[in-house]
Amino acid sequence: MATMLNEKPNAEELPSTGAAGMILDGRYLPPPEDKDGKIWIRTSALIQAEPQNLYELWRNVEAAPSWQEQITQVIATGERTSHWAMESDGKTIEWDAEILADEPGKRIAWHSIGGDADTAGEVIFEVAPGGHGTMVTVLQEFRMGKLTSAWETIVGRNPKQAVIENLRHFKALAETGEIPTIQGQPNYDRGMIGKLKASTYGETVPTPSGTNSL
Amino acid sequence: MKAVCWMGTSKVETLTVPDPQLLNPHDAIIKITRTAICGSDLHLYDGFIPTMEAGDVLGHEFMGIVEEVGKDVTNLRRGDRVVVPFTIACGSCLFCKKKLWAACDNTNPNAHLAEASYGYSGSGLFGYSHMMGGYAGGQAQYARVPFANVGPLKIESDLPDEKVLFLSDIFPTGYMAAENAQIQPGDTVAVWGCGPVGQFAIASAFMLGAARVIAIDRFPERLQMARSLGAITVDYSEEDVSVLTALKDLTGGIGPDSCIDAVGLEAHSSQLQGVYDKVKSALMLETDRPSVLRQAIQAVRKGGTLSIPGVYGGLLDKVPFGSAFGKGITMKMGQTNMQTYMRPLLERIEKGQIDPSYIISHRITLEQAPEMYKIWRDKKETVTKIVIDPWAENRV
Repeated sequence: MATMLNEKPNAEELPSTGAAGMILDGRYLPPPEDKDGKIWIRTSALIQAEPQNLYELWRNVEAAPSWQEQITQVIATGERTSHWAMESDGKTIEWDAEILADEPGKRIAWHSIGGDADTAGEVIFEVAPGGHGTMVTVLQEFRMGKLTSAWETIVGRNPKQAVIENLRHFKALAETGEIPTIQGQPNYDRGMIGKLKASTYGETVPTPSGTNSL
Repeated sequence: MKAVCWMGTSKVETLTVPDPQLLNPHDAIIKITRTAICGSDLHLYDGFIPTMEAGDVLGHEFMGIVEEVGKDVTNLRRGDRVVVPFTIACGSCLFCKKKLWAACDNTNPNAHLAEASYGYSGSGLFGYSHMMGGYAGGQAQYARVPFANVGPLKIESDLPDEKVLFLSDIFPTGYMAAENAQIQPGDTVAVWGCGPVGQFAIASAFMLGAARVIAIDRFPERLQMARSLGAITVDYSEEDVSVLTALKDLTGGIGPDSCIDAVGLEAHSSQLQGVYDKVKSALMLETDRPSVLRQAIQAVRKGGTLSIPGVYGGLLDKVPFGSAFGKGITMKMGQTNMQTYMRPLLERIEKGQIDPSYIISHRITLEQAPEMYKIWRDKKETVTKIVIDPWAENRV
């Protein structure tokens, strides 16, 4: 077998297991299925920055409102615990979170510990194949509850899409120092249908500010 | 400010909207001095591009004077004169690093809409649907330009606006089309569509070494322009003219080395397939009318290259892919990687190699824009290119 292919000038060694259960013994594994009231989302982004810097940006939980949609405030309540508040349709949803694993430059895992959310997740930072940036993979699970239903019914994003959009914002912020937006730009009155469409496009979800101000 | 707004299919109005504001640290506000209507704006006018919404400000070809810059814009200051590219690029993502600016990963706030229909999202565009970012466009008195440190090209010479305005889209688009055609010195190149992009594709094909260019259209004024650049013209609307036969006749039977489709999704066809596509798109069984694409695939020589600057938006029917495979052709296409071409093409203008203003046929005010959309769409006047002075008062 060893002599089947002896010329692979740039091939990299395969990991026996990959981030967030994506690879096992050379096989790709799909994300976990939604079942028993639990929904899963796995998403990844290729970001032009060092794993360590991305880890630090993510680990700074109090800065989360600058790139996560609808999060109004995060207060670090301990070395590994924090209190989260999310504003949705004038109501505030709150919960506490705890970091379960903290591997600088590599991985953060967390879960909620009471309040209006029932969620757990991890984020993995790996140098991408060929050194083309950092591959950031997020795996998150939600149990249907106040947090997920608020997301789904009010802001026009289901929780899966919200995780995808948050990683997109994280990438834009890390790469460019800002999060692209069209909120606040001029347009003529859109009428009823136009406003409805803006909502289905997700354009009514406030874009997080990014860390920089004008 | 006054702005040209899309208010529905075949409905464009000049309306008063709020002035744009700085929204992000890399934004600039431009006071627009000249702007233009693009052939691709007619696809919006005709309702061929999904996710346009009533109230959207149109326009993606504009230039002007920097009025205000965000705190992270380091290379521009108030008073600078700039041409703004129609594709918005961040300059930092993997694609911008590869100089694939039109594929920028970070500039479409509605990337999920494009992902749903295209797989991945390209860069944000000015005034070209919410799927492409929903950015307010430049047929207005002011515009907000995101990532102003990456896009706008400073004009430091005293060249008049009209000579440099088309660096915002159609000159680089025509040039990239010719580059994508992989022209070798001495090649024969066929160009479908002699509108502005086709004109610049013809000119660029010659600049890149084509020995002969064959230009295909039906409007006498456009064909005349193409001949004045040195092309041989084929009027497909003339009785007894078959484009495929003409291209064989003019190439010793082998077909052009490269074909450029500068028409795109709203091709007209005098033959049965024109009717076929009209019916199918009316029934929403296809979104685009690809009759030029079909013809260009048939026409290009074995092993030749097909370059597509014409815009396609969705699903195409009856594309002769077997012909493409059988002849082993190469196809290259896509939105223009503007930032790669703007400076070198400005240099060509400065050196006097080309004066892009030759295509202008109409100079109008913002108030006249809605009517001109209609006139151009209905081909009621000889229109090649419409330029708007957003500060001019209406002539009585």
